[in-house]
Order: sequence, then C-alpha cells, then structure tokens
Amino acid sequence: MASEIIRPQVSRRRLLQLMGGVAVAGTLAGCGGGNSAGGSGGGPLKVIGAGSQEAGLRKALDEYKKQNSSFDFNLSFSPADQLQTALRAQLAAGNAPDMHAVYPGNGSAMSMVQLSKANLLTDLSDQAWTQKIPTGFKGAYQQDGKTFIFSPGTSVLGAIYNKKAFAKAGVEVPTTWSELLTVCETLKKKGIVPLALGAQTPWVTQLINYALVPGTVYAKQPDFDDKMAAGSATFAGSGWADAMNKYLELQKRGFFNDNPNGTTYEQATSMVGTGKAAMAVQVSAVLQAYRDAAPSPDDLGMFPLPATDTVADNWIPGGIVVGLAVSAKSKKADEARKFIEFCGQPDMINTWAEAVACVPLYSEGEAKVDPVLKPFLHYLSGNKAVPFMDQRWPNAEVQPTHFAVVQELLGGKTTVDGALKKMDEAYRKTA
Amino acid sequence: MTAVMAPPVKPAPPPVKRVRRGGGIAPPWLFAAPALLVYALVMLYPSIVGAGSAFTDWSGVGEQRSFVGFDNFQELVHDDQALGALRNTLLLTLAIVVVQNGLGLLLALGVHTTIKSRMVLRVIFFAPVVVSPVMVSFLWKYVYNPAPDAGLNAALNAVGLGALRQDWLGDPSLAIWSVAFTVIWQCAGYSMVIFLAGLEGVPKELHESAMVDGAGTVARFRHITWPLLAPAVTINVMLSTVGGLTLFTQIIAMTNGGPGYATDTLSTVLYKQAFVFGKFGYSTAVALVLAIFVAAVSFLQIGYLRSRETTA
Repeated sequence: MASEIIRPQVSRRRLLQLMGGVAVAGTLAGCGGGNSAGGSGGGPLKVIGAGSQEAGLRKALDEYKKQNSSFDFNLSFSPADQLQTALRAQLAAGNAPDMHAVYPGNGSAMSMVQLSKANLLTDLSDQAWTQKIPTGFKGAYQQDGKTFIFSPGTSVLGAIYNKKAFAKAGVEVPTTWSELLTVCETLKKKGIVPLALGAQTPWVTQLINYALVPGTVYAKQPDFDDKMAAGSATFAGSGWADAMNKYLELQKRGFFNDNPNGTTYEQATSMVGTGKAAMAVQVSAVLQAYRDAAPSPDDLGMFPLPATDTVADNWIPGGIVVGLAVSAKSKKADEARKFIEFCGQPDMINTWAEAVACVPLYSEGEAKVDPVLKPFLHYLSGNKAVPFMDQRWPNAEVQPTHFAVVQELLGGKTTVDGALKKMDEAYRKTA
Repeated sequence: MTAVMAPPVKPAPPPVKRVRRGGGIAPPWLFAAPALLVYALVMLYPSIVGAGSAFTDWSGVGEQRSFVGFDNFQELVHDDQALGALRNTLLLTLAIVVVQNGLGLLLALGVHTTIKSRMVLRVIFFAPVVVSPVMVSFLWKYVYNPAPDAGLNAALNAVGLGALRQDWLGDPSLAIWSVAFTVIWQCAGYSMVIFLAGLEGVPKELHESAMVDGAGTVARFRHITWPLLAPAVTINVMLSTVGGLTLFTQIIAMTNGGPGYATDTLSTVLYKQAFVFGKFGYSTAVALVLAIFVAAVSFLQIGYLRSRETTA
C-alpha cells in the first residue's frame, strides 16, 4: 500500500536526536571559528590595524619577525570609519584578533577607556616603556592607573599646504587668523581653492574645529575639559562658538571648494596634492596620503592653523595617535605582549613615529622627526598643545554628533548655537 | 412487465487512514526539518536572544549589562534623531513603492510587445538587479560627484543644462532623493520582471474579444490587464515596501546618513547606535520597534491587496 511506502521510518525521538546533533555540531563549529580567530594555539598572530597606522605597524611587525624567526603574523587594515564597526562586531562576538587598533583616551566606541571598562584589553603596565609616558598624556594610555594601549607618539593637526600653490599666489605661511583670511583671499583671486574640505567623509568635518579650539578655548581656559566634566562649562557657552563661527566664515567667504558636503576626503587630498587647492586642515598622520597625491613629496608642507590674532594664544592640537592593544581574550597574549614590548624600545618607537609622521612618545638622544613637523615642536615642548578634544569626552556619542552638526552647519540646516546645544546634549548623556 | 432492478449500490471504500507507527513524524515535516533547523539557528534563536537586549543597557561588548525595563523604548519616543529617521524612512518607502513600481510596470508593458529588441531590453533593464547594492552605490557616488566637470553635473553641462547642476549628495534637501533615485534605478528591473510574469498570464482571448467590441488600448489596460495584474501588484508593493522600510546598504555606502541626519533611516540609526555610539541595548529596542512596524505594515498591506485580488 502506498500509505505503507510513505510511512515514516524515523520516530519523533530519533528526529529530535538528529536535530539536536546537528545543532550541537553547528554550535561547536561556531565556537571553533571563534577560537581560531581569537588566537588559538597554532597559526599566526592575528592583527587588525587602522589604515593610518599601516606604515609604522607593518615596519614594526616585519622587523620583529626578522629578529624572531618563529614569529608569524596575519595583518589587515580598516579605514577609520569602518574600523570600529568591524572590530566591535568581532569583540561582541568574542572573536577579536589577538592585537587590534584602539583609539587613545575616551570618546569613541573603540577607545581605550570604553574597551578597558568592558575588560577587553590586556594590562601592559609592567612593560618598561610605560614608565616613559609623560604625565600629560597618561589619560590617553591609562585607565585606573593601568596602561592598556601602545601608541608611538603624538600626531599634530594643522594645515597641510601645497608650496607651489603658495608660491604661485605669492603668499607666505600665516601666523594669525587675519593673515590666514588674507592668504585665502589672495589664493581665491588667483583661481586657487584656498582650503580643500572633504566633509562628506564624517571624521574630516571635525578637523577645522579641532585646529581652532586650542586657540579659542584652551589658551584661555586650560582646564576646560575638567569644567565640562564637572558640569560648570558648556560647548555653547565657550570659545567653541567662536571656532564654529570662524569655520562658517571660511565657508561664507568662499574659501572652501564648492559643495564640501558632497566632497570626500580622497577628493580633497587630490585637490591639494595637485595644487588645485592650496591647503587642507588635517592630522600629520595622513601626510603620506597627501604626498602620494602630489607630483613630489617636497611640494607639501605643514603649519599650525592660527585661530586668533594673538600669536601667543594660538595653541595647537596634538594628540596621541591611534594605538595598539592586546585582546584580553587572546590565547597568544604573551606573544602579543612581547611584540608590544619590542615596539616600546626607543629605536622602534622612532622608526614607527617617523613612518606615520608623528612626534615619538620618548627618545634617547635627538628624535628623528619628519621635517614638516618642525613648526609644531616648540608648541609641544612649550605646553601649548591640547590633546584631540574627543579623547576627554565622556561617551561615544559626542564625536559623531559633532560630525553631523558640522555637516548641518555647512548645509545651512542649523545655527552655531543649535549645533553646540546638540553637542552639549550628547555630552550630558551617560557613558 | 419487466421490473427494472436498481443496480446494487457499491459501498464507498473506507477512508484511507494514515498509519503512523510509534508516533512517527509526517514526511512533509521530515523534508522541511533541515531548512527549519537552519532557520531556527540562524534567524529565530539570535532574534529572540537579541530581543532580550532591548531591555538592557548593554554596550555591545563585554559582560556588563543591567536590566532597564522599558527605558530604551521611552528614550526612543523622545529621540529626535530616531523620529527624523522615521520620517525619512517613510518618505523613502513611499517614493520607492510608487516610482519603482510605476516605472517597473511601464517597462514591463514596453517589453511585453512584439518589438524585435524586447529580449535585449529585458536583459538591459534587469541587469542592475544582479549587481551588488554596494557596488551600485559606489558607482552612483561617482555619478553624483559635485564637481562641475564630473559625473552627472558634467553630463548636464554637456547638453546645455549646466544650470541644473547640483550637490546631489551634499545638499541636505536633495540627498535623500538622490539615494531614492539610485534604489529605483537598480530595482525597477526587478518590479518589471514580476509585472512581466503577470502580463504573460493575461489571456490573449480577452484582449481579442475586447478589441472586437471596439475597446481601445487604455480601456483594455484598465478593464482587463490591470485587474488581472493584481497578484503581481501585491508582490511588488509588498517587496518594495519591506525593502524601503529596511533600506540600509545604499545609504551607508553613499551618505552614511548625512549630511547631518538628512538621510538617516531607522536601519542606519540602529546600526549607528550599536556600533558607533556603543548602545547595543537601545539599538536593539529600535530594531524591535522597526520589526514590529514592518510586520504591521506588511500585514495590513497584504490584507488590503489580497482583498483587491479577490474583487478583481
């Protein structure tokens, strides 16, 4: 009978057993993937870095491998905007790489404070190089007195400029805000875009404010971050308003390229490299990308962007560059820690710092610094440098809010007051 | 007289009883079991576990989390960014549903003719559908380059329409429509194919008899084609509505929700909350509300469209 032919041969119990078996196998397979990615016994050390640290990190890993034949690594990089999404997904899934990029201080979902509070980073405090961290920078490396990241040093933020474009317009490097406006006016009259701005790329939107705020806020109120933390200061009631108004003035006077909100970082880089634009406000860590876009690397220089007409008040932003941490869940933590200790040696710090155009964390003897950074050095030694503002913001929401409100300002969708109130609201949210 | 004898009534065979030995499972379930298992493991289990996070303050990493009840949902109601994103989501969905399906129908009617190139045209119109949305987004990002000598602006210049040049993705008022256009450009071919399948099912005899009765093209479309296309309309409207409400890839790739918050949708908000702001619990609450919203809209929509099919 047909009914007999199609009669099931598998009992309910048997089917459930089979399903259970498959489920367990699937789960184990998932766990297996996690273990291998998390750094199981065999295989190379897995490292994910930020795009801006590639030149230095690759050099360090190659050098370490040369000295330790048994060492092997698997290195990949992510652009800044994708880094925190990709890495956070891996951290959440428990399959983070053995070593990965981490932003110094606080203020981002991939910052040292946020990740160390979640017990995801290995303590590096017993390493010798940690004793060399200057007091002013401890907040970038340390949480609750423990060091969780390695970073080769300080990146500065200023105007990267095309020397040929300046020569063509017959202008010199400005030292005050008024001089900067005059230089921009002259460049514009010569048909050169004074300032390239790729504000479609979110992180680029913050840079002009970061360059101006040390002069408009911190030179007068060095303890501004403490006052913000204590609730006795606000963005809206501070020199941030002056900085944002100056940002808008640059736009209103036509000193940016057309449609900055529709222009990307890469397009802005190309504009300066080719001389179509004369300047771009940027961090020194991306100098290499600008050099790649220029016919000759010598075409480019860098100077501190003056925020006020009082030269003494023109401080600079100088922040610890994106660092490297060892995952707390790595099974190769010892190997990773040894590599970090190697990176902390003065020679290696110098090599890495030079490769990413930053000022080394410390040096024995004279540090090798990219010549274009020389105009910034006396600010660093004279305590006129302020860490990048987000490194002391209490949660990961203020910085993206800053990106968004700057785009809204440039698009005419908000006012300076409205923009700063939104930043204040984001700041007051819990960490 | 011969008595006519009624033929003996043959008793109906007893209904076949499905015999199950030892409480076995019916074969349809056996066949479906592997797919159901994968679905349960990949979709149901993570969704149910994830839904629990909506009631916590979990950051998305680490073990620390506390139960916060409905706090995340209360925050959502007062979140200007999420409310703006809801508005954008609805605008985008409306534009996509109306224009994509309208265009898809026109394309389907156009290639459902006897013109020689109809097969080639079908392939051309469907081609964008098979390209990855990320690729399409990056390509259109080049097309939307705001420089006067690049992309769409250069093309407008070349045909003497330079005055229409725009900052397609950088202007907060325009960006959302630029994204919508890209989605419609890519997906209209998909709607076309579904409408085309519907058109193939319309009997030719109906058109022929209507023509004999003197019905023109418009009348035949209105009284024959359109009512019989009702199932295709249901499928297209459903798919484009769900696609519009959950639109993510094109926005992240083209504008990242900007300028400002101008192109943020509920999907990009929940993504940013989880991975940029580190508020996984709140993000899950947004996701849960979005899922319920999409389900409710789909349920209402399918109810209405099915009743329309019955009437037709």
